[in-house]
Amino acid sequence: MTSTFEKASWLEATGGIVGVLLLVQFVTGVLLAFYYVPSVDHAYTTVSYIEKVISSGAWVRSLHHYGSQWLSVFVFIHVIRLFLSRAYLTNKVQWIVGILLLGLVMAAGGTGYSLPWDARAFFSTRIAEGLMAGLPFVGGMARLWLLGGSDISTITLSRFFAVHVLVIPGFVIAVVVWRVFRSNLAEIFGPRHAIAGGVVFLLLALWSLKYRAPLGPSVVEVTAEYLPRPGAQFLWLYQSLKYLPGGLGSLAGVALPGIVLLILVLLPWLKRQRMIGGAILGVGMVLIVVMTTASYLSDLRDPKTSGQLALQEAHEDVWRRNPFNPAPITLAATSAQENASGGPPVMYTKFCANCHGPKGEGARQGQLNFPPLLDVSTKPRRTVDDIVGLLKDPPAYGLEPPMRSFSNKLTEQQMREIGEWIVKLKR
Amino acid sequence: MDHEPSRRSFLKLVPLGILAGVFASIGGAAFRFLRPKLSAATDSWLDVASISELTGPQPLSRKIVAEHITGWAITTEEHNVFVLPAKNNQVLSAVCPHEGCEVAWDQNTNRFSCPCHESYFAADGARISGPAPHGLDPLPMRVQDGKLQVQYVAKEQATRA
Repeated sequence: MTSTFEKASWLEATGGIVGVLLLVQFVTGVLLAFYYVPSVDHAYTTVSYIEKVISSGAWVRSLHHYGSQWLSVFVFIHVIRLFLSRAYLTNKVQWIVGILLLGLVMAAGGTGYSLPWDARAFFSTRIAEGLMAGLPFVGGMARLWLLGGSDISTITLSRFFAVHVLVIPGFVIAVVVWRVFRSNLAEIFGPRHAIAGGVVFLLLALWSLKYRAPLGPSVVEVTAEYLPRPGAQFLWLYQSLKYLPGGLGSLAGVALPGIVLLILVLLPWLKRQRMIGGAILGVGMVLIVVMTTASYLSDLRDPKTSGQLALQEAHEDVWRRNPFNPAPITLAATSAQENASGGPPVMYTKFCANCHGPKGEGARQGQLNFPPLLDVSTKPRRTVDDIVGLLKDPPAYGLEPPMRSFSNKLTEQQMREIGEWIVKLKR
Repeated sequence: MDHEPSRRSFLKLVPLGILAGVFASIGGAAFRFLRPKLSAATDSWLDVASISELTGPQPLSRKIVAEHITGWAITTEEHNVFVLPAKNNQVLSAVCPHEGCEVAWDQNTNRFSCPCHESYFAADGARISGPAPHGLDPLPMRVQDGKLQVQYVAKEQATRA
């Protein structure tokens, strides 16, 4: 054994770091699942609840969020280290496991980004949809299978959730178990692995105390100016997509990574291994570094973009300072009762109450002032028809953003119910 | 060379110690993270009925709608209560003090009966027989603008008090 292995060195500790970070992802992921609900009407609420109410919640979510980014980086470094030590010749299992982990960790990052169902998540899901749809020949079918239907819906969120918390972790466990049982345990649990892993965990823990995991505005509150940004491990793809027209983007973002991973997995059985592997990893590393740097630079340089990003951060700070608002759960039997007793219509609570208050009393959020809806039937003399009209087309009634049109969110009947309730509101 | 074995065994402890540290820090956070949150007792007054409709010798069944905040969710729940016009409009919770089933008023036998374990209560809520430890719980009540109102107290809180 010892003749084929180089003497254990600190370089080999990349495996220990990956192991500890995987452990952190599993534990924090299980914890988050105790509160998270994968449904479009509760996902954002439950993530906000974890952030604002639960003790250590912001830290646990931050560990999971930044941990996934660190994990991507360290798995990549681990693969490069394995390549340099020619593991594809000396320890095929270790090599294949490293490559599979790289693919699984990126897939986990991609699916996990959709789960909070904030504005970023929604755009990230849109981009995944676009990448799938742009694939040659199978695009239409791939898109339907990804979404679980013809549009992004709560079914899509359920699919991402199931893949993220059941399918991918299942494969990760299988791959890690395979690795552990095919090697010398003393080598895996060596002190160097543990020390390196422990140091990286300590750094991640401190980082997560300092930086909160981002959470954009909810999907119903997002404005047209909002600039979504992916997680750090996908900035290279995000930046590359800026230069690639439609179908090419799908090839670069879906097909190419798949082919590259396949070639790397098969590397132990290929000829000219040094050249093929070196070319792929070298070009990959250069592409990732250049594109990631370019995306940061382009955000910094354009004053309009950097201004909007700063504004978004300011909005997020305001949101964090505001207390948590519990969300109504409506059971069929009680909703009729609630309406009969003069409570707001369900759709009012869902779409309007966030800004205008649960009883139409209005609210302030930072610099934004949301007008109360009380007495609108006497002061601007709004009728039910007016309210239905302005819900469809706010500018036509002189209303300004952030008030938006709800014509694609609410039916005529639902708008009328909201209108009929609002005109009865009195101070 | 003498201290080599002790150095070896110390080195073996290092990974264990570090793993213990990682587990301890996440474990501490996990305990805080999972610790149950007690919902604050609601003290809002809920409408039961207009005073004018509360007449007659029989207990009257009414529904109240209470809003509960549990975790991230607001739920509206219906609770059955009984108003006793014969006892100065006292309001009784319909929740049996035994195991929490809902009692029903039986006009024929003139008593409340619990469907689960056959506890029986008189028309004024006093315990007659069965495993219930005491009579039906009265709820805090008041009269406001001609309406009878109560504060709903869940069974766990009522029995603890």
